[in-house]
Amino acid sequence: MTRRVKGIVGGVILVILALYPWLFGIYFTNVIVTCAIFALFAVSYNLLLGYTGLFSFGHAMFFGAGGYATALALTHIEGCPLLVALLFGFLGAVALALLLSPIVARLAHSAFAMLHLAFSMLLYTLALKLRGITGGEDGIGGFPIPPFRIPGVVSVDMTDPLNFYYFAMAVLCGSLWVAWFLTKTPFGQIIVSVRDNDKRVDYMGFKVPQTKAIIYTLSCGFAGIAGSIYAMFQNLISAAALGIAQSFAPIVMTMVGGVISFFGPIWGAVIFAVIEELTTRYTERVQLVEGLILIIVILFFPGGFIHIVAIVKGKLLGFTRGKGAGLIKGKWFGK
Amino acid sequence: MDATTAMYVAQGIHGLAYGMVLFLVASGLTLIFGMMGILNVAHTAFFMLSAYFCYQVVAWTGSFWLALLLAPIATAIVGILVERFLLRRIHAFGLLFELTLTIGVMFVIMEAVKVFWGTENLPLPVPSLLEGLVSIGGMDYPIYRLFIIGLSLVILGFLAFILYKTRMGMVVRAAVSDADMVNALGINVPRLFMFVFGVGTWLAGLAGVAIAPILTVFPGLADQMGMDAFIVVIVGGFGSLGGALMVAIISGLLSSYGVQFVSQLAPVLMFIFMAVVLAIKPTGFFGEREG
Amino acid sequence: MKMTKRISSAIIVLCSLCLLGLPQAMAANAAFDVNKMADMSDFDPNHPVIPTGDTIKIALVASFSGPAAVVGQIYWISVQWAAHDINKRGGILVDGKRKLVQVIKADHQSRVDVCKKVCERMVLQEKVHVLWGTDGSHLMKVINQVANKYKVIALCAASLSDDLYDAQNFSRYSFMTSFSTEQIGRAFAYYYGQMRKKEKKFYILCQDYLFGHQMAEGFKKGLKEYYPDAKIVGEDYHRLFLTDFAPYLTKIKASGAEVIYTGDWIPDAANLLKQARQMGIKLPFANTFMDEPNFLHAVGVKGTNGLVHVSQYGVEGGAFKTPEQIKYYKAWNDLWKAGKWGAPYNSRLYEHGTGNIGAYRAQTYWLLSVIERAGSTKAKKIIKVFEGDTYQYVIGKVMEMRACDHKAVQDLHIELYVPPAEQRQSFNIPPYYWYKGYSVTGPSFKIPRDKVLPKADPKLCK
Repeated sequence: MTRRVKGIVGGVILVILALYPWLFGIYFTNVIVTCAIFALFAVSYNLLLGYTGLFSFGHAMFFGAGGYATALALTHIEGCPLLVALLFGFLGAVALALLLSPIVARLAHSAFAMLHLAFSMLLYTLALKLRGITGGEDGIGGFPIPPFRIPGVVSVDMTDPLNFYYFAMAVLCGSLWVAWFLTKTPFGQIIVSVRDNDKRVDYMGFKVPQTKAIIYTLSCGFAGIAGSIYAMFQNLISAAALGIAQSFAPIVMTMVGGVISFFGPIWGAVIFAVIEELTTRYTERVQLVEGLILIIVILFFPGGFIHIVAIVKGKLLGFTRGKGAGLIKGKWFGK
Repeated sequence: MDATTAMYVAQGIHGLAYGMVLFLVASGLTLIFGMMGILNVAHTAFFMLSAYFCYQVVAWTGSFWLALLLAPIATAIVGILVERFLLRRIHAFGLLFELTLTIGVMFVIMEAVKVFWGTENLPLPVPSLLEGLVSIGGMDYPIYRLFIIGLSLVILGFLAFILYKTRMGMVVRAAVSDADMVNALGINVPRLFMFVFGVGTWLAGLAGVAIAPILTVFPGLADQMGMDAFIVVIVGGFGSLGGALMVAIISGLLSSYGVQFVSQLAPVLMFIFMAVVLAIKPTGFFGEREG
Repeated sequence: MKMTKRISSAIIVLCSLCLLGLPQAMAANAAFDVNKMADMSDFDPNHPVIPTGDTIKIALVASFSGPAAVVGQIYWISVQWAAHDINKRGGILVDGKRKLVQVIKADHQSRVDVCKKVCERMVLQEKVHVLWGTDGSHLMKVINQVANKYKVIALCAASLSDDLYDAQNFSRYSFMTSFSTEQIGRAFAYYYGQMRKKEKKFYILCQDYLFGHQMAEGFKKGLKEYYPDAKIVGEDYHRLFLTDFAPYLTKIKASGAEVIYTGDWIPDAANLLKQARQMGIKLPFANTFMDEPNFLHAVGVKGTNGLVHVSQYGVEGGAFKTPEQIKYYKAWNDLWKAGKWGAPYNSRLYEHGTGNIGAYRAQTYWLLSVIERAGSTKAKKIIKVFEGDTYQYVIGKVMEMRACDHKAVQDLHIELYVPPAEQRQSFNIPPYYWYKGYSVTGPSFKIPRDKVLPKADPKLCK
């Protein structure tokens, strides 16, 4: 696609998102906010997985850290402004990442994955145990959602679902754009090289552990933003946001959407939102449907939705773009 | 024995009994990982599936002993089918894809037990032969828990024998360190993998049957056990049977003596232990396999 | 006309109560009348007749999938029963039109985010009038928030947390018809301190999370109030879904406790009791969740003998005092016995339709009665009738909705579990036992409502 076509597609998407609440009503507006939150969460995850080759099994702890930081700030700081609360969420996740990075940055593969599983379990248990701070199972809820205010210019009520929609979408889409931009910079190229051949990157004079630590921290920061918006959107954050099921979410979304592409996880989030919307109306066996879809996708389309799109495009246009299968075949996730 | 000593001894045996059950679950998990490099997220789902099989066999025949024999085998057959028809096809893609696939398998098993057995709590009595208490030096102790320890020791001996005294065990150990080389030597590695996956799920199944009479068979059984089993494997070092055994027993003792002495901290004690070990040695006690 | 009808029905209720000389006899605004109950022989929870169109819509917010799906099933059959009855009677006259009751499943999957989403879908898309909920205070909190935001009624029939209705969380759209944590603890303390006056040493073992601690606090507060001589010989909090209770039980055994008070729910409560009996510990447990027939059956007659249970659907003495009460019981039990209900409703769990199922049915009837008397599905009108309302269940118990904080004031009953041969004290019609395979309710003792008033936040109730 040329730059111009891309610009037009982007513009059309923006217009649709802007008009969306007027077309579909509050309920589906809330559905899309949830979907966008998980899209950012999954993309932040894929910055580690797809781009850096780091496989984490506890990404929910950064999502949760962001959520708890925001909820705590709004509960305890009188008159905490909206953007400051958001910043707290971002910084909460970043702080946790910085705390862990000396331990994890030198690891890869399953040790990295397991260590994250272990620490997220630890945090989950602590969130239940430290009831005085975290509210235990009930979590922290009912905190005030401050208006979006630029002193002397504007003050927008954020308890209105419509206003919150625009705020959340601005933050989430903005974050997604920043993440995308990041992958296009020279730094983005280095992290991909770390994934493909970290020894060579090392020989070339780049510092591998430091590079990993930076992308790790950024990825966790994005997860924190997703968690922060989630806490404000739900007006509640509870231990479940740190749990294992929450860590599975970005994994399955990324895998179903397509791990090889930046936009794969976004597709994954959309696909799961659609599945949930449909299945919960007709069956109580949501998990069965999700499990079967996961198995089928992994078996037949390991590149995920993006892979399917590539195949269809190839069939239609008569040439293979081959972005899907080729990459997957190289065992780039180790064993 | 006076009452206080009896209490401490009893806590020790409790810790051992629970530790051995943990080991049964964890051994299968760590064996599969060590051999095949697969992180089998569905492992505790197999464990639960076996408890349901056990319930069914007891409901049909009334015999716990038959269940102890058949349920783990049935579970292993399911495991072998999963390996043969699902996991093997994507083995070449690596850890991530296998793991995601096992998440899918876990979802399906969790839902399947509800389709077949409903959502109610299904209780299973202790077999009449093992009911009641036995006196150890003046202290009464439930026979069934001693049976669990005994059963686990037999399995442990059996595993050790297979791994270190038979040709097949030698091949398995060789394949753990270098599967490609073993394959090149003309041994059918895919079949070996299938066998190991079967043994791993069989072990999980055995643990499921062993623990069913002291717990309730219900759709959340897998989650209930999952966290503990994964911690044992992580701290013990992925792929290390000895590590799993050691940490399982430490974990059992930590939880029983933890309740006795620092009960406020008991629920988080194992996590603290884990955090300390991993901060010093991120691959766990005996974990060498990096990736 | 309507007025006279109401007055006359009230008079009939009053007179019949006076005639029977029931101790609870007190004037209620409304009462459940079995003689008006429809013919329920075609009720089938697996294939319910669900009306559509312009109806009174109740969203049943519960876990229908995931490990706790059985809870959703129990709610479903209970609420559906009441709806089926009212619909066969021709519905309820609201806003100038007779409308049928439509119950819609809303699966929260035991997750707060799903709960919020599904509640919003119910309110915004299905346009429900009532959100009926649910197990888990964190989930009920979400339901109350949604109810408050979109101004629909919420009914808390199954969550027991007191703090749902403190000044911080209170919503005028939400009503708690269930009993609550502090009441449970205080009821046990009152029973042991003021009625039984025998055991003195108590061990508290609860789950290590908010609810478990609330259950323990309630009991401790009750002991201070009603049983100052009592001694708490130990207090422990275990992790949720614990596998091995043996270490705690060994400690309890050594402590010399005479009674174990526990706030655990199933499966923890089941595993705790089962493992205690396997270890030869015969102490009585005081708990409100050890009433699940499947696991009690597995523990057997001996192991369940002597358990102490607190119930919000109990009665003193025989459970069946009037022909109406027998008729109401039989309407359910006959259907179950006839095997007309398929799985999962053919299991032991659903045999009697009393206990929790009885309470959920009665609470739903109360709600529908309030809507009928409000003559509207508008939240404002329902609130006006509900606040301060009194309603008599078929078992004779009178409920009162405290206006200041929307909590139900009610008598509670302590039930002692006895072997089948002695269960006729409670099950006073043939075959004279509840269950043959285990010990369950025999003698039961009323804890008067003023001794176990629900906890009130002074900021709400002056």
